[in-house]
Amino acid sequence: MALTPYDVLIIGSGASGGMTAHTLTKLGVKCLMLDAGPAFDYDKDRSLRPVYDLPYRGFGKPGRFPHITQANEFTAAIWADEKENPYSYDPKDPYYWVRIRRIGGKTLVWGRASWRLSDYEFKAKDHDGFGDNWPLAYADLAPYYDRCEPLLRVSGRKEGLPQLPDGVFLEDQSKDGPSVTRFLEEAKKRGIPTTKQRRAQGALASSMNLLLPDAMATGNLTIVPNAVVREITTDRKTGLVNGVNFVDRRSKREMHAKARVLVVGASTLESTRLLLNSGIANSSGVLGHYLFDQFYVKNTVQALTPEAGGGGGYIARFTNLKSKDKNYLRGYAVDFGSGGTPDPKYFPLYGEALQKALNANRGRGFNATTMGSVLPRFENHVSIDKNVIDAWGVPSLRIQARYTDNEFNMAKDAMNTLAELCQASGFELLEKHDRMVPPGESIHELGTCRMGESPKTSVLNKWNQAHDVKNLFVVDGSAFVTGGSQNPTLTISALAMRASEYMAEQMRKGEL
Amino acid sequence: MLALPAAPALLAQEMPKIEVGVPDAGAETVAHFFSAPQLAALRRLSDLLLPAMGETPGALEARAPEFLDFLIGESPADRKQLYRAGLDALNAGARRKYGKAFAELDAAQADAVLAPLHERWTYDAPKDPLAAFLREAKADVMAATVNSREWVQVVSQRSRTASGTGIYWHPIE
Repeated sequence: MALTPYDVLIIGSGASGGMTAHTLTKLGVKCLMLDAGPAFDYDKDRSLRPVYDLPYRGFGKPGRFPHITQANEFTAAIWADEKENPYSYDPKDPYYWVRIRRIGGKTLVWGRASWRLSDYEFKAKDHDGFGDNWPLAYADLAPYYDRCEPLLRVSGRKEGLPQLPDGVFLEDQSKDGPSVTRFLEEAKKRGIPTTKQRRAQGALASSMNLLLPDAMATGNLTIVPNAVVREITTDRKTGLVNGVNFVDRRSKREMHAKARVLVVGASTLESTRLLLNSGIANSSGVLGHYLFDQFYVKNTVQALTPEAGGGGGYIARFTNLKSKDKNYLRGYAVDFGSGGTPDPKYFPLYGEALQKALNANRGRGFNATTMGSVLPRFENHVSIDKNVIDAWGVPSLRIQARYTDNEFNMAKDAMNTLAELCQASGFELLEKHDRMVPPGESIHELGTCRMGESPKTSVLNKWNQAHDVKNLFVVDGSAFVTGGSQNPTLTISALAMRASEYMAEQMRKGEL
Repeated sequence: MLALPAAPALLAQEMPKIEVGVPDAGAETVAHFFSAPQLAALRRLSDLLLPAMGETPGALEARAPEFLDFLIGESPADRKQLYRAGLDALNAGARRKYGKAFAELDAAQADAVLAPLHERWTYDAPKDPLAAFLREAKADVMAATVNSREWVQVVSQRSRTASGTGIYWHPIE
């Protein structure tokens, strides 16, 4: 029986791989999709379980996920095992690399936050002189954002902010409690823009339920799970890629898949790792460089509101817009929410006195988390560490990244601004701090395979196409030039859609 | 003539589901990580941190100290050291102030030794081993209690939201 024929080989089934498959298959392009992990059945592979029936009573096996703070004992099976998937870093500069190796990837558990980037990001160098511009502008991506938001069922409220372009939203008309309303008023008085969250809605907002089913329904997609890709193979005569070597995750059986066009959407650092291990597409020398993410200051402020109530929202980046007005470049966004009960740690009590205080303060919690822009720097980079091999014999990454004064100054300013806002709103401030989680914990790692106009300083062109190898596309967060303070997934989806349409057109014309 | 049970061959092919319990339903944890004085201090501390209140079980009823003996015994070296040093410091503080082990103090005396629990939480952990231990133990004892069978079975009858049940993802092959 003949192998299933296909034109495009896609590595990865998450936001970028999923959107690529969705776009291409609807245009009649036959695709084969490989993912390192298994598919799973939402009904059969999960069950209700009381916490006391877990082996570690909900604490999780100690030391199982040293770098994944997001994992808990219920969800442990979702996250990529750290022993099977090791990596390295200088102990002075810890990096938390968080991975999910399953059909759907990180879209199975993402926070759903869906923001558009603006020309403050796409043309950041024009704006403040630092770094580089993207080789495309907001106007180039807007039509794709328009189509992605309905696919991802994004809810939100329009604000008309140039730094946070409005989208095609399920309208959010939710009301806020009196405390949050006061907070919003105090922000407005200070010229600080706020809005509702913009989130993908639904019990599940994953490529698994939003993108792959429609792609499968076209008859143009075959998905192969448990395929751990080792390297990309190249035709020596033409210099074009012609396939990938992979192994079955469970048996380690060696396989090869051919490719007429190869799309890599394995997630930011996995895609770059694959290209580095394959020794391709790097005439510029920048593959692996310009690693950045968003820094997180979790619970920058924790406060008590005078009355229990609900509601929450988002502060959009507002600094350094008209001119440089701070001791740092760019800016931060804030997620804030209320209505919970503060963690017992914030009450200097124990025993019955603590329980009384928790009862008295039920529903009066308010907290805010800062998400700050990280400047892309050449020296923050990844490289192959030949001494660190994963469970399938693939060399892994050494990650070198650290935050700088720009990020520290921004965090301090965010803390002071939020503390002042809480106090002006009549909240009792329980704690404020400006300490960031380690780089990578945001799970918004970006860059290392960046786009650009010039093949001398970038790996990809404005179509996510490798300058050096025209039938190779890299469509995930690794392509970013600069990220801003907005969560990146919506932009990743839009770029993948745009790259796919270009790719299909090039194939139709016989260029690929 | 005897009536035979219906279709014994069919009965043999049924796949019944049997309700099984958890280890804590019928047995006690054997504590073997902490020394006897450390475990005694941990039991007293746990009872103070989360005593039984009315119908609601406390840390001792939930066997939280014994569970933590198991958990800490499996934990990385720095966590083990934090707990051992902290429990030793509780006993040392009790002896220095009152000439007795921590487990033998009354509530007022214990409260004096537990003074760090009355300090405000700060992002950076305190350097003092007792203070650093107490802030972790406060959270761990509460979690070990609230996640116990004893707690969940009592509290879930009162409140639908505090059910202690979650969606567990099965391990992949």
